[in-house]
Amino acid sequence: MAEILSANDLNFESFIQTERMVIVDFWAPTCAPCRLMEPGLEQVASNHEGSVRILKVNVNESPKTSSRYYVRTLPTLLFIKEGEVRTQIVGAVNPQQIEKTLSEVG
Amino acid sequence: MDKIWDVIIIGGGPAGLSAAIYCGRAMRKTLVLEKKVFGGQIVLADIIENYPGFAEPIVPADLMDQMSKQCQRYGVVLENDEATALRREGQGWRIDVYQETLEAKAIIYAAGSLHRFLEVKGEKELLGRGVSVCATCDAPFFTQRKVAVIGGGDTALVEALHLAKFASRVSVIHRRDQFRAERILQKRVFQNDKIETIWDSLVLGFQGERKLEALEVHNKKTGRIDILPFEGAFLAIGTIPNTALLRDIVELDVNGYVVADLSLATGQPGLYVAGELIRGNRRQVAIAVGMGVQAALGCEDYLATLD
Repeated sequence: MAEILSANDLNFESFIQTERMVIVDFWAPTCAPCRLMEPGLEQVASNHEGSVRILKVNVNESPKTSSRYYVRTLPTLLFIKEGEVRTQIVGAVNPQQIEKTLSEVG
Repeated sequence: MDKIWDVIIIGGGPAGLSAAIYCGRAMRKTLVLEKKVFGGQIVLADIIENYPGFAEPIVPADLMDQMSKQCQRYGVVLENDEATALRREGQGWRIDVYQETLEAKAIIYAAGSLHRFLEVKGEKELLGRGVSVCATCDAPFFTQRKVAVIGGGDTALVEALHLAKFASRVSVIHRRDQFRAERILQKRVFQNDKIETIWDSLVLGFQGERKLEALEVHNKKTGRIDILPFEGAFLAIGTIPNTALLRDIVELDVNGYVVADLSLATGQPGLYVAGELIRGNRRQVAIAVGMGVQAALGCEDYLATLD
């Protein structure tokens, strides 16, 4: 089973403290591009089972986490390793672009 | 993914998906390539009120989801991948995608357009940190905050009206002294107490350390430059055609739009175009849909000559 977890303000920190690359997907139910990007994220998750963790953060429910990273656009993907942001993608992208970014920062 | 197709459609917006429905129903083996999300830029809008056949406003993402499903019903394959090169080889076409090369007898190029940016200081750095191109996606971040919308067309006013549901104040900054948007939208904007207009003004820059704090605004009539505090700025200044792959293949005008007549043929055998990358096109879903159908019918005539 590919690892896509739902994180919030309370548990976010514990989820990013891992040796694995973490992709954080900031989304909201009202964001259509976020919804349309979901199958691509699932594809990436299954390609990297065991090596990449994908966290979904609903910005409406977790305002502190989105403020902490100055997220003001949805979707935003943060690539975090060992607790530090390596890069980010702003706006909807396809799985190939996520893969390319992973290979650059991985 | 299969490598050999009858038709490959580049672009999964209203034009591409409409073309795909007709190609699918013509029993052609059809692939649609979309580099971002299926549905195209219209999914960034919160509602559509002028698509014929729907008396009530519709959600663009729902409409486009139905179009995608309609394609699949007729056997069309939708693939999230980016075409990076297009060339004629032998009797057909080759398209390079992320990790392979595909072949097709015919191509319908409906890759749409890209957001136009002002290309001023601070814009790139603050994109996603207050500078945005999607009010529907990002409006909730600006609840009870001051935001600006830059532009004067339909998109700008729709964005302003949507933002007014969240923000404390919305300022529409436009380079002219009147809007070119639909009159019904202008009326709503002028009647909305939360929305003000800043005419004859250009945005020269975006300021802020880690997030947007202010805009540098130049009034063309008075010559005055003001630093105006805004936490959000939404760009709606038009688009540029996504025609890079066609540059050496078909005739483009000086702005990069494809020069095509009603046949939507390009002069290249089996290469058709559709949607907002065509010169003179107005950005409307209904027009894109019609163009997609027209291109698909022309494409089918061409394929019939090969059968």
